[in-house]
Amino acid sequence: MKRQTSMAVSLVDEAISGLWRARRMTALSITLIAVSVFLVGAFLLVAENLTGVIETVRDETAVTVFLKGTATEGDRLSVERVARESRLVGAVRHVTRAEARDRFARSWRSLAQAAEGLPGNPFPESIELDLTAQGVGSAAVPALLRNLTALPAVEEIQFDVEWIRRLRGVVAIVRVGGLGLGVLLAFGAAFTIANVVRLTILLHRDEIEILRLVGAPELLIRGPFVLGGLAQGALGGALALGLLAMSFQALLRYVASTHNALLGVFVVHFIPATTGLGLLIGGLLAGLIGGAVAVRKKNIQT
Amino acid sequence: MIEFYRVSKDYRGRRVLKDVSFQVRRGEFLFLTGPSGAGKSTLLKMLFRAEKPSEGNIVVNGMNVGGMPVARVPELRRSMGIVFQDYKLLASRTVFENVSFVLKFLGVPIAERRRRAYQILRLVELHHRLNAYPEELSGGEQQRVALARALVNDPELLIADEPTGNLDHRLAEEVMKLFTSVNVRGTTVLVATHDQELIRHSGRRCLTLDRGRVIEGLVEAALPPSAVHRLDEGRTPLDGGPGDYRPPLPRV
Repeated sequence: MKRQTSMAVSLVDEAISGLWRARRMTALSITLIAVSVFLVGAFLLVAENLTGVIETVRDETAVTVFLKGTATEGDRLSVERVARESRLVGAVRHVTRAEARDRFARSWRSLAQAAEGLPGNPFPESIELDLTAQGVGSAAVPALLRNLTALPAVEEIQFDVEWIRRLRGVVAIVRVGGLGLGVLLAFGAAFTIANVVRLTILLHRDEIEILRLVGAPELLIRGPFVLGGLAQGALGGALALGLLAMSFQALLRYVASTHNALLGVFVVHFIPATTGLGLLIGGLLAGLIGGAVAVRKKNIQT
Repeated sequence: MIEFYRVSKDYRGRRVLKDVSFQVRRGEFLFLTGPSGAGKSTLLKMLFRAEKPSEGNIVVNGMNVGGMPVARVPELRRSMGIVFQDYKLLASRTVFENVSFVLKFLGVPIAERRRRAYQILRLVELHHRLNAYPEELSGGEQQRVALARALVNDPELLIADEPTGNLDHRLAEEVMKLFTSVNVRGTTVLVATHDQELIRHSGRRCLTLDRGRVIEGLVEAALPPSAVHRLDEGRTPLDGGPGDYRPPLPRV
């Protein structure tokens, strides 16, 4: 047991010494891995926040039917009935004029006082219709909107279905393209590590030969390279995560400084902890695979 | 300790060793000589399975070297100490690390590694250069580090390929004294050399190779020198002393 422990310690010690001896190569390798993992992470961050945007947009997929100032309770109920009869509509919400003013005051605090100062309540009464998921992309939506517009109490209908469709299309492309890019970058990271470890092996060819000649076990010859790859992958992953977090914070600060409400909607949160852990494990695995590929028999034979 | 039975070796159709048979007894000191290209290095390489025989059998310390699986080769090599003509020291490691790393992969704890490496470096009088790198040492010093590395594991067999090839006469004699003292402790020593004067001066048994054949030296010496050598302590490994007693090595 003592011997095994001593061997394990020697293995780790050799791996660390090896990384330190080839520190320039190690630094280059870690940087390359960090760049690869950072790019994958950046993609995931964008995808994560685009998903957030979709969620936000889905909230906005409500059709807003503004009623005329002269509309009666009966008119409103008939609009609601037409809407409820359609299979495209998931939920119907009545927004009174007072509620509309409160919403404005909450969303635009700086203008709230101005709104308060206006004579009477200029905000119109409306009915919000939440479309079902199928309803958003359905070709029957324009017909429903035409029916609603034809009702006498309806002043105007607000719904930009084309914009939402395009956005969904873009998000789908980003997701598929990003996934492909992510897989490509992961392979790129593993390939990078494999080549760096292989280069390190070439640099240590004499050392490996000597180790073999004096009877070093294969575990102690190959093991440090695999462990080294693993460590490089882990360090690269951690570095990439740190850079990603710093970049995200810098972006948040920039957005805050611009006071741009639209940007504020898009940059909402960092990647979840599980995704971060995944990136770290990804870097680690890329390192392990790279190290293992590099110490294949044909590469390490002297 | 070493037995060669009708061993031949071919390189790309060219036979470099032809039907070689000889034996080396445990505790013996044997020289291997012959002109360049005679097959000395090939013969030595086959002893630690850097080369496999094309024909015949080689037995080292009871192990069939030619037929052993690759996985067992490290075990074979760990049972012997090898000194190379070009030293084969690790340039990126200190003298101490060069000597002690052999013990490292045997799982010897660090404290014990330190003790043994220091002891053996003291023996070759390099204990004051523990932290020096090979490039900071002279040829003779590097050779002594290589010898210390070969001996640190207390091997039963010491193989040296032209160990004095790069040394001047005085340093060569120093190194040979070390080999002799190692042999006195009971270690079988096999040294390949061109240096005929060295062989004559030592009075040891010598195997001469020429164009892949043994042409001289097959008759064994009556007794290995270690058997007749007496130290101050008055005991040698062949005296039938207690257990694995080995007298301390004298300093050069």
